[in-house]
Formats: sequence, C-alpha cells, structure tokens
Amino acid sequence: MLGLLTELMARAPARCSYAEARHVTTDQEDLLVRNGRVEQIDSESADGIGVRVRAGGGWGFAATRDTTNAGMERALTRALAIAESQPATLVGPLAPVPPARGHWSCAYHQDPLAISLEDKLELLFAAEAALRTDTRIVRSEAECSSRRVRSAFASTEDAALTQERVECGAAISAIALDGDELQVRSYPSAHGGSAACAGWEHVLSFDLVQHAPRVAAEAIELLTAAQCPEGRATIVLDGDQLALQIHESIGHALELDRVLLGEASYAGTSWVSPTDLGALRYGSEQLNITADATLPGGLGSFGWDDEGVAAQRTPLIEAGVLRAALSDRQSAAAIGLERSGGCARADGFARQPIVRMTNVSIEPGDAGALEDLIADTGEGLFLQTNRSWSIDDRRLHFQFATEAAREIRDGELGRLLRSASYAGVTPQFWRSMDAVCSAREWRPRGLGNCGKGEPGQLMRVSHGTAPARFRDVQVGVA
Amino acid sequence: MHTAQRALALAGPDSQVTVIHERSLLSRFARSAPTQATEVDDVTVEILALCDGHTATASTNLLDEQGLRATAQRAAAAARASASAGPGAYPGLAGPGPALPAHHGFDAETARLDPERAGAALRETFAVAAEHGLEAFGVWTVGDVETAIASSTGVRLSDRVTDAFMKVICRDADGCSGFASATAAAASGIDPVTVARRAASKVSPEPLAQLGPGTYPVVLEPEAVGLLLEFFGALALNGLAHVEGRGALSDKLGTHVATPAISLCDSPCFPRPLPRAFDFEGVAKAPITLVQDGVAQAVVHDRRSAALAGGGARSTGHAAQPGGSPFGPVPTNLVLAGGGAAGVDELAAPIERGIYVTRLWYVNPVREKETLLTGMTREGTFLIEDGKITRPLRDVRFTDSILRLLSATQALTQEQRLVTEGEFYGRRFAHGVVCPALRADGFRVTGATT
Repeated sequence: MLGLLTELMARAPARCSYAEARHVTTDQEDLLVRNGRVEQIDSESADGIGVRVRAGGGWGFAATRDTTNAGMERALTRALAIAESQPATLVGPLAPVPPARGHWSCAYHQDPLAISLEDKLELLFAAEAALRTDTRIVRSEAECSSRRVRSAFASTEDAALTQERVECGAAISAIALDGDELQVRSYPSAHGGSAACAGWEHVLSFDLVQHAPRVAAEAIELLTAAQCPEGRATIVLDGDQLALQIHESIGHALELDRVLLGEASYAGTSWVSPTDLGALRYGSEQLNITADATLPGGLGSFGWDDEGVAAQRTPLIEAGVLRAALSDRQSAAAIGLERSGGCARADGFARQPIVRMTNVSIEPGDAGALEDLIADTGEGLFLQTNRSWSIDDRRLHFQFATEAAREIRDGELGRLLRSASYAGVTPQFWRSMDAVCSAREWRPRGLGNCGKGEPGQLMRVSHGTAPARFRDVQVGVA
Repeated sequence: MHTAQRALALAGPDSQVTVIHERSLLSRFARSAPTQATEVDDVTVEILALCDGHTATASTNLLDEQGLRATAQRAAAAARASASAGPGAYPGLAGPGPALPAHHGFDAETARLDPERAGAALRETFAVAAEHGLEAFGVWTVGDVETAIASSTGVRLSDRVTDAFMKVICRDADGCSGFASATAAAASGIDPVTVARRAASKVSPEPLAQLGPGTYPVVLEPEAVGLLLEFFGALALNGLAHVEGRGALSDKLGTHVATPAISLCDSPCFPRPLPRAFDFEGVAKAPITLVQDGVAQAVVHDRRSAALAGGGARSTGHAAQPGGSPFGPVPTNLVLAGGGAAGVDELAAPIERGIYVTRLWYVNPVREKETLLTGMTREGTFLIEDGKITRPLRDVRFTDSILRLLSATQALTQEQRLVTEGEFYGRRFAHGVVCPALRADGFRVTGATT
C-alpha cells in the first residue's frame, strides 16, 4: 500500500503546493459483561485512505474506503476541488520536516487480538461475579478493549513510512442504588478503564478479580457515607484523577491551534497566549510537565505523527514556568518555531490530522509514596476516580467530581465521603500544588475518549502521574 | 439494500445486516479564513448475529465477498462465545412491520455535497463579520446518509436522509463573542447571512459584567434548552436506565415532574426535526408522548429494554445501534411544545435581575439520577436588568438539575427552533431537538469566569 501512496504523491506536486496520503487499517474488539451476562461483543474493521492537500486558498481533505489506484486518484481530485473552492486566503508556511522514512511499531508481548474470546470472557465473568456482593449493586460490569492500527503515510515532501500499534485496556465498575441514592465505583479508572499501547499483559496487570470485592464494597459504603463537606481544604488527587486534571487544564490549554484561535468554533480557545511561552508562571516550582511521544506504552506514542514528524520528548512546563506548546507544522510555523512539536494526529483514515496531545505527563516529585504524602498532609481530602468533569472553553475554570473521597485526619486515611467535588482556576490551582509523589508511584494512565475537531475525532492519550497535593482548594461545590 | 442482502446471504440463520453509507462535507473556518475541509465517503456493514438470546456484532467497510464473509464469521463466533455461559435476554429480531411513514428528510440538491456551495457560505459569512468589524469562526456542513437493514426475519428497510448545519461565532478583538446556528434537512434551509448576523448581534462593545455564585432567574435560548433536553433523554427517558432503577423518572411515571407548561414528545416524522423512518433494530419510528402538561408519561425503549421492562412493554423504535446499545435507547427527535411568549424579550420582561444564556458548553452529569448537571455558558451570556437584556456577562458555571429547571419553568416562547450540537463523531447521525426558549427561576450559578 505504501507504494501506491508514494505513486499518488508523485502525481500530486503539479496540482498543489503540498499533499499527503494516509492509509489506515483499524481492527478493534470490545467486550462487556454486565450483571452476569455478556452484554456486548463488538468487533470492527475499517480500511481506507485520507488525502490532504494544500491548494489555492486552503486545505482540502477527502477520505474514502476505495483503496484502489483509481479510488486514491479520485480522493486526490476531490481534495483538490474542495481546497480550491474555499475562499482565497493568505497561507503561511509549514514548519520544515526532514523526509520521514522507515517503520515503527510498539512493543508488546501478547497480541490482545490473538487472545481468544473465551479467555477474555472467562476473565471478565470472574471479575464481574466478584462485584455482585450485595443486592444493592444494580449494575456490575467488566469490560475490555483491544485494538490494532496499521498505517502508511506518504507526502509530496518524500515521506514514506509505515507504523503499527497495538492497544488494550480493561475496567470494572459497580453501581449501587438505594432509593434515590446512586453511587458508583470503578477500577482502575472510570469511563472505560485505563488503556495502554501494550499487549494483553497490560490487562492482566490490573488483577481485576482481586480488586472487585473492594470496588463493590466501596460502592455500597458510599450509599450511606457522609456528604463531602463544602468549603476550602487541602486535597490529594490520586493518579487517575490527576491524569484528567492535567488533560483538561494543561494539555488542552497548551494546544497551539487553540492558542491561535483555530479551534474556537468547537473545542474552544486557551487562556494562554503565544507570548506566554518562556515567561508564564503556570504553576508552582513542583510542576514539571512533559509531552513525550516516545513514552513506552503510551497511547500517545508513535514513531512519527500524522504529518511525518518524528516523535519527540518536549518539556512543556519546567519548575512551574511555561516553556513550550503542543504544535503541528502549521501552528508551529505561525509563531515562528523552527520545527513542529510533532503533535499532529488523526482519528482513523477518515479524519485529517489536527493538533493533539501525545503523552502529557507530570514528572515525579520527591514526596515519597502515597502514604508518606498522606502522613505529611495532616488534614485534608484524598480524592479518587473521576465521576464528572467540566471546564470552560478557555481551559481556565474547572469543576470535577470524583467517585470517592476519604478524609485525611492526623496524617491517615479515614472515612469514605460521597459526592465529592472540587473546583478551581487553572493557574491558581497549579500554583497551589506543593508536593508530588516520587517515581515509584508514577505510571501512565491511558484515556481513550478525548474529543476534538469537526467532524469529531476521538483520540487516545496517556498521562503519566503520581499522586499530588494541592492547598486551599474549593471543595463540595456540587 | 443490495449490499445488505449480499451480506445477509453470507450471515448465519439468525442475523441482521445494517449498511450505512455516509457521504459528507464539512468546512471549518477561523479568523474569517477557511481552515479545514473534510469530505467523507464510507460504507459500514454491521452484521448482528444471535445465539440463544445473545447478540454480537462485527462490522467492516470491505464490501467484497471475502470481507463480508469474514465479518459474518466473526459475528457468529462472537455470538456463540456469548452464549457459552447460558441463555441471554435478547428477545429476538424484529419482524417486518407495517409500511413506513413517509418523511421529507432527503434533499437531492444537498446530497450533491457541492464544495462551491460551502465556499460561498463561508464568503458570505466573512462579509457579514467584516461589516461588523468582527472575525468569524464556525462550520458549514452537509451530509447524505443512507441506511439499509436486512434481516433473517424478513425485514427489508432503507432510508436516506440529508442534513445541513451551520454555526457561526463572531468575535471581537477583545475576545467577546456571539453564537448562532441553523439546522435543516436541506442546505437551502440555511441562510449563512442570517446565521452570521444573529451571531454578530450577540457581540456587544460594552464591558463585561460579572455575577457571583447564587440563584438567578434565567432565560435560556433554544440551543441551551435543546442541550438540556438531550441530557434529559439520556438520563430520564432511557428505558434501560428506567428499568434498572437508575433513571431519573424511575417510579415517577404518572406523576408531576415538571410545570404544566412542559409537554415533551418524540416526533420522528414531524417535519421540523431531522426525520427518521426506523431505528437500528428495524422498528418503525412513531410519535410518543413523554411528558404531557408536566406529567411524566413514558420512557423510550428498544427491544432489549422493553423485554427487561416486561408487562407488555414494546420497543418504541429507539434502538441506538443494532441489537440495542449497551447504554440503552434514547430519543433522537425530541419536540418541546412552545408557549405563549412572543419572544425572548417578553420572557425577560418580568425579571428584575437575571441571566440570559445563548448556549451551554461542556455539560456533564454530576449525579445522574437527580439529572444534576454542571457546565458553562458560552458565546452570548447577558445580564437581564429591570426586564431588559442589557449588558454582556462573563460566562458562568451552572450546577443545576434539569428536572428542577423544568419544574421552575415559568414561560416559553411560541416559536420553536430545531437545534443540534452538530458534533459528528464516528458515523454521521444527524439529529436535533425542536424547542422554544424558556424562562425559569432559580438557575444555580456555582462559579464565574474572570
């Protein structure tokens, strides 16, 4: 297929200033066991090409399932027609990129798509059964997903590369209901679980069956737990909730297309401006954030992004000061950067690349293990597992709810609290962070449902986190 | 239908094939310049296999015999694996139903996906923004989606619909912005100039006022009302959540759940929503009253949730995917009856100090059973003072319950508008809500932007 793409690109330069073509084959399988029965087994295969061109006044992109030579030529012709029909505008340069060539694949041991349905169901049934410990558990679920994406990319700038990635993830959750009180607990995270660019060994590492009784017990306990208090408090966020906090209030805010207003029609803009790079105090000195597309196991890892820019590791925030943004070739050039940040990613063959997070992670601190951080905290709240999230279109004002909270009293974890929530303003919140746990608590958390772009694209990203502490935070807002 | 029947011939004895052919064009713009334009032409063949009360699906866009056969085999193997732990609860495939009601949801001109039309829409929009000294941001998009279902029980259905959507955000140099959108089954139903002018009218040169946390009377434009009703559909009208006791209307059918001014139905054939002939289980769409004069009447079902409900419950034609979605059925053609107010100015007239909201953003449930949501206002939030919509207001965060808002609704406009978020994740499925603007008391603001 790479040969056909290369031939197509060889025919394109006479018709446009730039063109690229991607062939993507996606195979995905999702299993869900609920309340003792198989609720869902879905498998999906999709295969097609997307051709993007720059001609006349703008960009044109056409996607088709027809991967024959003729189908590719039609897609190129259509992309050109679409680009040329746009209102004429001044187009800036693209940041230069050396021609990318080669093959990349992620490391894994057990191909998750080669594991039999029977073996997967055996694991899910065992985990789900272990959740059904009380009649007030009205919904018990165990799920897993497996995915393989193969792609080929060629451009009029002599790029010719192929990539293959394998991903999988799993989760369990229990919903407890008593009258009008409904509570939920999940593991290892909510919203479908934590995935990784890895083999089935990643799913096995969760030990879902062992965790299930605790998850169910906490869901039941939450039904009668005391309400999370309202006021201001010291909070410790567990790694899972911190991942979403980074995702929403740092990752998206530092997407350069948003900063430059290119996403204002949907995802929004940013409270950060281009002139803030190198100067803005984003958070406390304990805040070090890195975008790393080379992170082993990261959902945002690759050999090259979807513009053929090599994967890179970029410090975004160092000791609390903003150093860089997430960029693609166009946005990087727009602010005079010499090279793209390598963050152009597309969801399948039928969407064009846009600026996306890779693996945006907080670097480990020196607060030791979680128990050390709790002991050092004295009084406060330990918030676990996201239940609800919302942030404004500038990524400044946020409100999160978590499935559970535990009191921290005299440096120890205490009773469970229900309906916990907290709210804040991005820079004040990150400036209030005074401790991050050490490397032994740090691990990547994979999110599979990051929505952006029009038409909508779902992207998969990881965030490396360790639990962290924040002072004087508004809690109990919902 | 030809592809559906080819696939059905390769599938097992108890199967449903759903073929969706999407053709779509979407043009984005920012700062009064085109940014991205995307055309998609793709076909998805989804084969649903049944085995002992279990379902499993496999899908592909490879339409040759090898691709379809492999997909059928995957679906059948998955259904057998599902059944290995005992019988399932799926009640079986639907049989052929009565003749489908006709609808006016297809427009041949729109189906041309003419990029020149997209370009013209953008030019007109940029011109309006320039007239006002503003920059324009937004989307113009059209889609043509054909759905065919063939099943081993003899169902043979096909439906072809088009949709058009445009949204415009006008923004000044200080970042003050205004939003407007339009949705129709045909591109000719959208006038870019009208949409752009409406968006521009929301951009005020006055400095932004600020409101602190508290409760305020509110006027919600149809875009805001529509989004709340979409959540209401998922949290309260979802038959699966209802049966499991998780739904917001569990144990509340037949009782007052809203003010008597609230009457809500799902009207798939009503000309103004984007019509649909059948759902993804091949069940014909039909109107259903959900809330009448403030009294909860019904929730919607697919075949799976209806079977769980028992008591003679039947699918209401709201399956969100073949075999029913694990998330349950949802209404996709909601219509909220209008009231007597001539317009939003009349809604604002009794308010001494309150909030006018154009649209809501990043809304998510906080506690599903209470329909408690949180989200932000965006691109057109104003202060209402002494009965008039006066100054622009910094966006606010709300944390409030839909059921509470519907119980505190005091008046609605006569005029209804078809509104949609225009988000097209995955395979394009255009849908919207027809609703008026409304005034409600006690809108709970829990924060404000600075």
